Amino acid sequence: MRILIVEDDLEAAEAMERGLSEAGFECVRAADGQAGLEASRAGVFNVMIVDRMMPRMDGVELVETLRREGNATPVLFLSALGEVGDRVTGLQAGADDYLVKPYAFVELIARVEALARRRETGSVQTLLRVGDLEMDLIGRTVRRQGQDIDLQPREFQLLEFLMRHAGQSVTRTMLLEKVWEYHFDPQTNVIDVHVSRLRSKIDKGFDKAMLQTVRGAGYRLEA
Amino acid sequence: MQLPRIFRTTPFRLTLLFLALFAAAASAFLAYIYIATAGEATRRTDREIQREMRSLTAAYDRAGLDAVNQSLIQRAASERPFLYLLMGRDGRRISGSIEESPVERFNGQPAWTTFQVSDLVGGRMVKHPARGLQERLGGGEILFVGADVGEDEAYVVNIVRALWGAGALVVVLGLAGGVLVSRNVSRSMASLSGVIEAVRGGDLAARAPVRGARDEFDELAAGVNEMLDRLERSMAGHRHAGDAIAHDLRSPLTRLRARLEAAYLDVEAGRGDPTQALAQALEDTDGVLKTFAAVLAIARLQAAGTAPDAVVFDLAELACDVAELYEPLCEDKGVEFGSELTRGLTVRANREFVAQALANILDNAVKYTPAGGAIMLRVRRRSSGEAEASVTDTGPGVPEADRARVVERFVRLENSRNEPGAGLGLSLVAAVAEAHAGRVELDEGPGKVDDLGPGLRVALVLPRAT
Repeated sequence: MRILIVEDDLEAAEAMERGLSEAGFECVRAADGQAGLEASRAGVFNVMIVDRMMPRMDGVELVETLRREGNATPVLFLSALGEVGDRVTGLQAGADDYLVKPYAFVELIARVEALARRRETGSVQTLLRVGDLEMDLIGRTVRRQGQDIDLQPREFQLLEFLMRHAGQSVTRTMLLEKVWEYHFDPQTNVIDVHVSRLRSKIDKGFDKAMLQTVRGAGYRLEA
Repeated sequence: MQLPRIFRTTPFRLTLLFLALFAAAASAFLAYIYIATAGEATRRTDREIQREMRSLTAAYDRAGLDAVNQSLIQRAASERPFLYLLMGRDGRRISGSIEESPVERFNGQPAWTTFQVSDLVGGRMVKHPARGLQERLGGGEILFVGADVGEDEAYVVNIVRALWGAGALVVVLGLAGGVLVSRNVSRSMASLSGVIEAVRGGDLAARAPVRGARDEFDELAAGVNEMLDRLERSMAGHRHAGDAIAHDLRSPLTRLRARLEAAYLDVEAGRGDPTQALAQALEDTDGVLKTFAAVLAIARLQAAGTAPDAVVFDLAELACDVAELYEPLCEDKGVEFGSELTRGLTVRANREFVAQALANILDNAVKYTPAGGAIMLRVRRRSSGEAEASVTDTGPGVPEADRARVVERFVRLENSRNEPGAGLGLSLVAAVAEAHAGRVELDEGPGKVDDLGPGLRVALVLPRAT
């Protein structure tokens, strides 16, 4: 998987590259918006990580230009600006996800992975399958080993997200953002409670626990 | 040379302008009066002289010179005699009340003249203005008939004097009025400029007096005061944010530094595994960042004064959403959760901020309510028409004296020291409320029951969308 890192802070870019390389990604770096645009035109990337504020061409402009040119590479925006309005501007410009600096590395990797994988599933699916777990997106039913599992609407959404990202670590913040659509940080870890409820529904009574806790990161649904 | 301040004020200048306009109008008016009265008096005199002349020439034509003389004698006894002079063909005086004709060159055509007559009044010679007409009679004699117009003239002089007086009065009253109005306005303006001056000098607490007259000056003063209030709050918010950040971040940062240093020394000395220390340091950093983000959010909200990206939404719907997030938490903790949500109460607000505020309130409620307790979420319409989202718990509550304080930043009451949380929850709620022109209210909960209570009721009150 190839990642283009467009970041003017050299040290931050190096740290990012080291971390992503360790996680198995191949990285290319560009030090400003203009260089980023040229690199993205020259090569094919699975994900672009774009810093919001850069010399020569800022992140918003870069992404807007890419999208105008028909380049649909998933973009993860990095920004020191964490306000609601900033995130909205970034996403409106065409970014796919938004991460506020400073971030935890597991968070960055998890999001990059999520974006990279999203590209692979091209066609619209009506049935999700992870191991012996099945989710019918139209019938809104979940079965494991042929056994019906009754889920609340939110639990259904939560499981859907986990199944779409099966095998990947997803962070609590990602779940809060993508499933609940909240962008603040609850003081108590409410997400843990929801996940443990879901876990009790899909794993209880089965020999293999699918919903794993990833220490220091979040959760992962394993086949 | 500089004019005294009062003459440079706008109201005074306006007064002068109006005064000039008014004086012009008054002049036209007075000129008309003058023409209508003084002019008329002169014309009347001329007519009378003419009539007299005609009556005398008629007498002459009827009965000759003697009849004229007879008439003159009779008329000399009348109350307001004309001035007469009858002269022969050669211009020599025959009879009359004056010695010689004031007409200097007489060519036989009727001639008008204005002249002066002397009169002996109280031993003094007084000159009067007079008008006269001289004509040649049918027999060649010359007759002059004049009239003393002194009285008319005096009347005209009086009118003119009155007109001047009136003009002067207009100017003086106008000026006085101008000064008065200017002084009044200047005083009101001076208090405002004083405030602006003081604020420029750094005194943000200066406020313009509102006199209660409810005029435009009061409106302006109230506006300026409100602006200053907001400015002061915003400045205080910034200052407070700085203080708060410094205060609350210093100790965890110090701790973090010490931990890293210890780990570094350990690694350098080749003893122990630094993983534990590093993991702890990371956790500390996350805590610091969390606090930092919260403080920043509050400060930005307070500084902005209004919430960005406000949309209209149903408060109950949002509350329901947030409740759904917290309900399992209550259940896990053995706290009963209930809700009463009145639908259809729309507010114009930033969804995210209101959601966070409600989440913080619920978070606190869950945190402080012991197992066996209950939490109630309500959305209702206040009788004032505002929308209210409230959370009532059966926790220990907050003593009345402390309620205002817990809304401030970083305040956690002594008995809650051992609970997690940075103490920013309610301050953010307050900041969110303020940014939406709403407020936070803290009351006692349902009261003490067994070992529960008295509880706390936190209400977020927002104006409804119009």
